Amino acid sequence: MSKYIDKSLNEIHEALVKGEIKPVDLVNECLDRINKNNLNAFITMNDKVIEEAKELEKMEVPKDDLFFGIPIAIKDNIMVNGMLCTCASKILSNFEAIYDAGVIDLVKEHHMLIIGKTNMDEFAMGSTSETSYYGTPINPWNKERVPGGSSGGSAVSVAGRLVPLALGSDTGGSIRQPSSFNGIVGMKPSYGRVSRYGLVAFASSLDQIGPMTRNVLENANLLNVICGKDDRDMTSVETNEDFTRLIGKPLKDFKVAIPNYFLSDFVDSEVRNKVLEIKEMLEKNNVKVDMVDINHIDMAVILYQIIAMGEASSNLARFDGIRYGYSYPDPENLEDLYLKTRQYGFGNEVKRRIMVGSYILSGENAKIYYSKAMQIRDDLQKSFKKIFSEYNLIIGPSAARCAYPLNSGKDDPLHCFMDDILVMHANMGGFPCISIPIGFNSEKLPIGLQILGNNFDEATIYQLASFIEKELNLDLEGGKVSE
Amino acid sequence: MKCGDKMDKLTREEVEHVAHLARIGLSEDDITRYQVELKKMIDEIDKIKTMSDFDEEFMISPCKNEVPLDNGKVDNIETDNILKNVPKKKGNFVEVPVMVNE
Amino acid sequence: MSNYKKTIGIEVHCELKTNNKIFSPALSNYGSMANTNVNVIDLGYPGTLPVLNMDVVKLALKACKVLNLNVSRKMHFDRKNYFYPDLPKGFQITQALTPIGTHGYIEVTKKDGTKKRIDILEMHIEEDTCKSVHGEKNSLLDFNRAGVPLIEIVTEPCMETSEEAVLYLTKLRELLLYAGVSDCKIEEGSMRCDTNVSISKTEEWGTKVETKNIGSISNVGVAIEYEAKRQEEILESGGKIIPETRRFDDKSLSTISMRVKEVGNDYRYFPEPDIPYLNIDDKFIDDNTNDLVRMPDERRESYKEAGINPINIEKIIANKDISDYLEKFLDINLVVASNLLLGDIASYLNKNDVTIDKTHLTDSKFRDLVNRLDKNEISNKIFKEILVDLMENDLSIDEILSNKGLNLVSDKEEIKKTVSEILDKYSDLVNQYKSGNERASKAIMGMIMKETRGSLSPALANEVMMELLNE
Repeated sequence: MSKYIDKSLNEIHEALVKGEIKPVDLVNECLDRINKNNLNAFITMNDKVIEEAKELEKMEVPKDDLFFGIPIAIKDNIMVNGMLCTCASKILSNFEAIYDAGVIDLVKEHHMLIIGKTNMDEFAMGSTSETSYYGTPINPWNKERVPGGSSGGSAVSVAGRLVPLALGSDTGGSIRQPSSFNGIVGMKPSYGRVSRYGLVAFASSLDQIGPMTRNVLENANLLNVICGKDDRDMTSVETNEDFTRLIGKPLKDFKVAIPNYFLSDFVDSEVRNKVLEIKEMLEKNNVKVDMVDINHIDMAVILYQIIAMGEASSNLARFDGIRYGYSYPDPENLEDLYLKTRQYGFGNEVKRRIMVGSYILSGENAKIYYSKAMQIRDDLQKSFKKIFSEYNLIIGPSAARCAYPLNSGKDDPLHCFMDDILVMHANMGGFPCISIPIGFNSEKLPIGLQILGNNFDEATIYQLASFIEKELNLDLEGGKVSE
Repeated sequence: MKCGDKMDKLTREEVEHVAHLARIGLSEDDITRYQVELKKMIDEIDKIKTMSDFDEEFMISPCKNEVPLDNGKVDNIETDNILKNVPKKKGNFVEVPVMVNE
Repeated sequence: MSNYKKTIGIEVHCELKTNNKIFSPALSNYGSMANTNVNVIDLGYPGTLPVLNMDVVKLALKACKVLNLNVSRKMHFDRKNYFYPDLPKGFQITQALTPIGTHGYIEVTKKDGTKKRIDILEMHIEEDTCKSVHGEKNSLLDFNRAGVPLIEIVTEPCMETSEEAVLYLTKLRELLLYAGVSDCKIEEGSMRCDTNVSISKTEEWGTKVETKNIGSISNVGVAIEYEAKRQEEILESGGKIIPETRRFDDKSLSTISMRVKEVGNDYRYFPEPDIPYLNIDDKFIDDNTNDLVRMPDERRESYKEAGINPINIEKIIANKDISDYLEKFLDINLVVASNLLLGDIASYLNKNDVTIDKTHLTDSKFRDLVNRLDKNEISNKIFKEILVDLMENDLSIDEILSNKGLNLVSDKEEIKKTVSEILDKYSDLVNQYKSGNERASKAIMGMIMKETRGSLSPALANEVMMELLNE
């Protein structure tokens, strides 16, 4: 039985406008799938969503608002007023958001229906969603494999076709890597494109919220409505453009670069070959594709870890059991309250990073590590910008390998370094970067391609992404849950 | 402070020091595991020490905005129940174990 | 006399007089009920971000100007990380690397008449912590103060006596107050002074000890003397000074140890990524400092030239409202004006608990009053009689005087002229009198009062009238 929720956003919208269906029908379809198939994609469901959907019946469906009445899933590090916001951590397990994030204001303004808050790595620290206090979400393509992370729950909910849309956050690949593991489209927009107000900070200079969808067009459309200047985030920027405007336009005089580093030996050969197939396909379509070298590209992950952990140690200092969240019940004294709240409230991955982050900023180390990393980061951004002065875009694999077995790196403190290695450059430079599915490996696991653009050049990324999507015309329903 | 030079794990004191900086309590097991795990992480980030030849210019974030010189609209952010999530309250105050250092 | 030399440095925190907090739109007014001027930003809620209130920068620029500080053109903010319950985010947003002002000074005049330049190392902007009150087992937190804007002004260790320190603070307070930057109320905590004192017999500095929580400027002097003496006694008895933070106890007038400093406070500073660079240019600085009023020393000079006595000069300077008021009347007799403002008008205002702008004593009325007193047109006695009317009625001085029958022409020649004109006008009444009707003189007097609206001295007018009638 084909459900409305599986139709394209345009088709759903038309059906709503015509009155064939009501928003509550869409919500019921989503809830039905979520309840029948436990993918552990959600930490908290919105228990008012039916009510909210029925409320929309009082309104006429606006013809120009594609998102009216469309269900959406929100990563659980984004504040939705009145709902728990746990960040998949024990320390926020009882924390109720008392304000809406900037993006949630926009989601509500467009009358999207928030189905629930999605599972993730604790405080977005991880690349498998296995660090969640609430258990790991299930990769619907293969239950034995990790769903990716940290936005694992959001990726799973779209891949499983539980919802058509989700929001994730990306500090060092946390939207793109799970998108590639789940055969969906995930965009990390330019730094500043989407307000971070109401996003629980992991690493402030790297974090960005982005859309996770079933296809490229819907992704561009969702970015259209969640972007913009927010007076509550001084790093956000005004946006006056339509990200879909170049979709379908011919790739005239197009030049694409592939950094040699992105096809290094550490990249799985099946993944590498798939990227090379794309290279060939583009060349056949008169796109010039060059292999290039980029200064500092290989060491960037070290800089990234230093910056991310340093900032995280500061951002997570506020979780102390005093104003909100888990609080150790019977502390002997103030010091004990701090120590035990944070000892029992945080999981291992988070604690390790906070400790190393504190070490990184401690005394003279701040110069040796953090300041130096921020200096080389500036050079790194410049060397990428140099490439963008000659090439429209940079492409490469979204992950060095496809979704790997569960528990394979859970206790390895360096595990994440490997998963971030190809994707964090975009965060370091503040560049927009999308992951799109480009095929499957021999185990029928999705492979993702990342397309990286110059700052605030999302439109060109969507142009190429949509071209590749159309050329490949893949069947991506392999993750869809059974009815 | 420098940690774990030329050793394959951190000393107990080194782990206790960074844990104190981060205000994270430690069990005996924690200390043992972090001696090894933190050492691995620090070895990894220490690779930055091999990097030279870079510009002095410093980035505070990829944000190219500047602070606007005049305040935008100043809407107070009203919340109904600001103390809703406070674990321990006394009247309208937030309560903590006595602050000894005052 | 001790042969140890003191070295003193002072750190001052002042709350800036902005409507809103430095990084949140909550009201910057912590006199209210606990935790009412608080929003999610002030409480350090996850997901919240700081938004810099430019009013803070504007006031800080005024402070830079009066403290002769060089203004940084490109600034960012830094996070100072430490754990304490009064610090909601676990870090304080401050300016560690790019303070808004550097290398300034102010000059003080010592009792012996010599001048001393006190060098200011730097001034930076930061956010205040929350307020806490302590019980035996628990402390209570009020976040109304969290995020109130502060400037911190740090001197070089350039002072050698407690007198210099007291003079520096007095002058600093005066300048910040007159620049409209802060209300500088030490008792209410809107100005806080911490001292760093070390003593040494040689050129090399001794170990410095910080003293916090000193509740008045004069007690800063007391605390420095106490601290120097304490340190000297330790050194003389062969002891060693421990680097520590002490607090001043105003009951025992002594300093008490609070905490021994951790070996090198580890504040893990790094640039605040959530606030972009702040770039300001000369025009912005000028636009925000050219409305500064005259500073106290310049005013003292004017007062001195006008002949106000030194005691009154200091009384005026000490009361900025009065001094600001006087700024509008620099062209009239300042001695008279200041005597009024310090004397009867001040008593009236105090007694009625009002400010001068809430009374009916308009600027033009005050100017008129001073000029009349100056020219002896009004005696001090009459002034006292009409004071209440001046303050409470919307009438001119003339109207008040005539209502009270006080505005009396007493020049006999002038009265004679006026009266004879009136007598000419009412010749029939005069004739009645002259033909023996003595009671007609009363009617004539009535006419005189009516025609002159009571502006003549009644006694003199009667005398002149009788003289003229009986001529």
